[in-house]
This record gives sequence, C-alpha cells and structure tokens, in this order.
Amino acid sequence: MNRNSLIQILLILSVWVSARAQDTPSPEKSRVDARYSVSVIDDATLYGNRNDHVPEVLNQVLVEPSFSIRSQSHLTFSSSMIGLAGTYSDSYTQLRIKETYAVLSAGDFDFTLGRKMVRWGTGYAFSAAGVLDPPRIPTNPTDRLNLNEGRDMIKADWVHGPHAFSLAWSTAVLAPAAANLHDTTAFRYNVLVRGFDTALIAGNDREGDAFGALTFTRVLGQAWEVHGEAVWREQAAVLLGAKYTISGITFIGEFYTPPNIPYYSYMGVSPLAGRQHYAFLTISKSRLRDRPGWKQWSLSASVVANLDDRSYTPVFDASRWFGNHFSSYVHMDIPRGSKTSAYGAAPYSAATSVGVRFQL
Amino acid sequence: MSRINCVLRVFLLIFVVGFLFTCVLVSHAAPATPDGEALLKRSDTFRNGWPAYVVRVRITDFESGRPDEEHLYEVSQKGTDKTYVDFMSSREKGEHLLMLGDDMWVYLPDTSRPVRITPLERLTGDASNGDVARTNYAADYSPVYLRTEKVGNVECYVLDLTAKRKGATYHRILYWLRVQDARPVRAEFYLTSGKHIKSATFDEYAPSSGKELLRKLTLYDEIRHNSRSVLEYSGAAPRSLPDKLFNQGRSDMF
Repeated sequence: MNRNSLIQILLILSVWVSARAQDTPSPEKSRVDARYSVSVIDDATLYGNRNDHVPEVLNQVLVEPSFSIRSQSHLTFSSSMIGLAGTYSDSYTQLRIKETYAVLSAGDFDFTLGRKMVRWGTGYAFSAAGVLDPPRIPTNPTDRLNLNEGRDMIKADWVHGPHAFSLAWSTAVLAPAAANLHDTTAFRYNVLVRGFDTALIAGNDREGDAFGALTFTRVLGQAWEVHGEAVWREQAAVLLGAKYTISGITFIGEFYTPPNIPYYSYMGVSPLAGRQHYAFLTISKSRLRDRPGWKQWSLSASVVANLDDRSYTPVFDASRWFGNHFSSYVHMDIPRGSKTSAYGAAPYSAATSVGVRFQL
Repeated sequence: MSRINCVLRVFLLIFVVGFLFTCVLVSHAAPATPDGEALLKRSDTFRNGWPAYVVRVRITDFESGRPDEEHLYEVSQKGTDKTYVDFMSSREKGEHLLMLGDDMWVYLPDTSRPVRITPLERLTGDASNGDVARTNYAADYSPVYLRTEKVGNVECYVLDLTAKRKGATYHRILYWLRVQDARPVRAEFYLTSGKHIKSATFDEYAPSSGKELLRKLTLYDEIRHNSRSVLEYSGAAPRSLPDKLFNQGRSDMF
C-alpha cells in the first residue's frame, strides 16, 4: 500500500469518526429548556352598600408575564411579574415582582436565591404552618388575580429517597410594612410514610416568636383526602380538613382554630376576644362535561364562617373558557355579621367581580 | 421361526401405527397457555421504551367528531412508579403532576398548596391523569390469559387485567395484544362497579430513538359516546432523571 492510499484511508476514517461524533449529541449537555407565559386580566369589582370612603367600582388591568430558563438541569432562572393599572379612588399603576429567583442544583442539593413562593402549609383556606407561604385569604383561597408574591430568601434543599430537608432564611427588608413580616429562619423535614405526606417545621421570626409545626396529608379509600396542621407559636393553632370527590364534584371542609395573637390577627376581631374558631366549606365542579354545552364551565360555592361571632361570607364563582386562551369569570362575596365581627366588618355588603382573562 | 417373525412384524406394525397416531395427536394438541405476565411486560415496552425517559403527549379531544380542545404534556418517567408531568398548553400552564407509587399530587398555580389526588379524581377528563401518568400495566395489574381471537386481520391474545395495587387507574382492563410480538391493539377499561368506562385503540407505532414505540392512541368514552380523545406521543428519548425530581417535598420546585 503506497503513501497516497494510506493518506486517503486516514482521511476517510477521520471524516467518518467526526461525523459519528456529531450524529447524536448528548441531550443532557446541549439541553436548555425555556418556558414562558403571559396572562392579561381585565377585572371590574362593584361594591354594594359600601361605606362612604369606599368607591363603588374598582377597575383593574393586570399583565402577568413569566418565564423560566433551565440549563443542563443544573441552573434555573425564573421570573414573574405583575403589572397592575387600576382605578379606585384615583388611578394608579404598579409593577410588582411576584417571583425572581435562581436555583443551582448539585447532586441531591438545590440552592435557591431570590424572591420565591414557597408552600409549606397544607390548608386550603387557612394555614398556620405556612410560615413562608403567601397569606391565605379564606374568601379568595385561589388568589384568582394572581396577586400573591413570594418572599425574599436563601434556601437550601436536600432530597434523598423519600426524605426532603429544607433550610430557609427569608428577609422582610423589601416587604411592605403592612405585610407584618419578619426576617424568618425556618427548617422543614418532609417524608412520605405509608401514604402520609408528613412534615415537621421549626423556626424563628427575628424580634418575634419561635415556632414549630407538624403537617400531614393522606388519601383514604377512593374519594377522601384528609389534611391537618398543628402549630405552636406562643399558643397552639390547629387545622383539620378533608376533601371528598364524587361524580366529579369536590367538597372541601376545614376547621381552624388559631389563638388571638398578633401573628394570626384578623380584621374585625377584637384583641380581647380570645381564641377564634373558623369553618370553611366549598363545593365545586370544574368542567361540567356531563351537561351538554356546559363543558367549558366551572362552578363553585363556598362559605367561610367565624363560629365565635357568627359572622360568615358566602362566595360564588363561575368561569367559562372560550377556546384555549380566553376565559371569563364572575366572583361574588357577600359578608354577613355585625360591624364588629370578623367578616361583618367588611366595608361593603356585597362585592361582585366580573372579568376576562387572556392566557398565552 | 416364521411364526416369531410374524408376531414381530405385527408388533412392529402396531408400534409404528401407534407412534404415528401419537404424533398426529401431539401436533393438533392445544398449545401451552401463553404466559400472561411475560406478555404484559413485553407489551409495556411499546409504551415505556427505557427505564427513564421523557416523552411529549398531545391530547386532542373530539366532540361529535369535531376537534374540541387540545392539551400538551411533557411526561418524565423513571421506573414503573415515578412520573412527573409538566402541563404545557396555555390553559394549564404552570400545572404539574407527580405520581409516586400509589400516591399522586397535582400542583395548580391558583391553589394554595399541592393537592393530593384521590383515585376517583384520577379518572376525570376524557384522558385522565392516570391515562397519562400510569402506563406500566405489569406493575399495576395481574394478567389472566382468556383466549386468542382476531381483531380485524390481527391475531391477538386477550388478557384480563385486574388491579393489584390501589394506585391503578382502573379496576379491570381487557387487553388485546398482537400474538407475534405482544404489541397492544385494543383495550377496554372498567371501574370497580363493573361499569365499562372507556375503550382504547392503539392506532400507530413508529420507531423512536431505536425503539418501536406507540405513536397514537385513541380513547373512546363509553358513557358519552360522542366523545373521544386522541393521544399522540412524540420526542420519546432516554433521559437521565434525578430521583429528586420525583419527591413530593419539592412541591415548591415543581
């Protein structure tokens, strides 16, 4: 074999090897996942029989973009914002940061830095153990306008098998003064044991209280789910709840008793009133597909009550999808009770919201 | 001597005839009952090509023959009992579903916490959460071979699958598998009450990353007979998935 032939063979071989190397690039090394969404909501709320200082109509337009980028399964960056323009007693615009955070994943560890929403509580309308959660509003547990914001934090998570450990430090430096937040250090251990999704939470609010909590959720049989929280922060707070599903209809009931301390204080409840007891019940059916022509509808009715002062608020929600991007809704809450009660203290007798939402 | 020869010849004749008769009987005897477990495991490989993989599922709902809604999911599966589903369509963006063994959680952006799903809730929708997240029938069902019959021109084994764990989506499945390679052809799904709730046809298969995998499945609603869902699978590929992706304690990382 002469030199020329050998060179030709080597050239052919090298081209073939480099072509094979480019054929199937490692999916792990080249993967960058990007996700985005935009939601635009036009909401109008009418207040009935309101106090003089409450305008009759609140108009709001909300633009809520969000995006996240994940690179090589190690680094994630995510951000979501709320642009709000409204007319109440006067016109205003706001830009709020709902979440903006980066996550570095290394083996079983995840390290998070930034503003992030964390959900440690198990309650639907109430929670005492959600020490880093956005506040629960029983008459609006779904945060229908997506106005909840995360907390600014550094968090480390270690997950191994069925065990998950989280350690978080959250600062309230950038939180609104009205939010009544403190710098919080919290630790959570979560484990799934025999169907019980259980968590132990402990921590401390700077210039505030130390706290501890136990939470659980469990599915029973075909249709039941039960959940609960037991929290100690100066005094005990307890939440017990259950969900039942039959024929596509979901019933959720919760009983909640917090101590009447500043951390759990609720508008309208006197600081001298002592321990409070609340109940919540909701009945909902989404996608009424059993009814011809009602497949795009979702309906729910709820009531939240303070069992001590006998005040309560019924809430009704109806929504309908039009295609894949548009939906409309009606929301109504009708607080009832004396003017010094938890729900009767609301400055209106009824609030009716109608709106349309575009989602991309 | 000639008498002995005669006896020997008769004996030999009887032996040969008996041998031939036995051969005929054996060749026409009923074949050994197929191994249901082996068939079911083999059939699962047409839907789960690797121990850990990712696949995109597009579900188109049809009402009275017309396309109604479309949903898009990215399904990450590891082993037989760990599934993470990312909801990608605009109506459901931000939603996630996690299945661990018999337990399932859904995270909806407009709820205040991850929600445990009860077995009945897994059945909601034309294509339910269970249809998307639980596709390893060998892990969830005990098979019994019933019979062999033709579906169209395709000779099929018919298996009767009974749920053996509470996480199974359906109580019972009748399952038609192609004889030559246990490829799924058809299925009927039954609830605990015995109600026939859905049927499925496994319409198309195609090679994907070196494996022949299910490409298209149609689910027929046996209660609302004008309703069906078409599931189209694409982009299936093996993927190294960390165990922490499938931990319920990372619900805020969904």
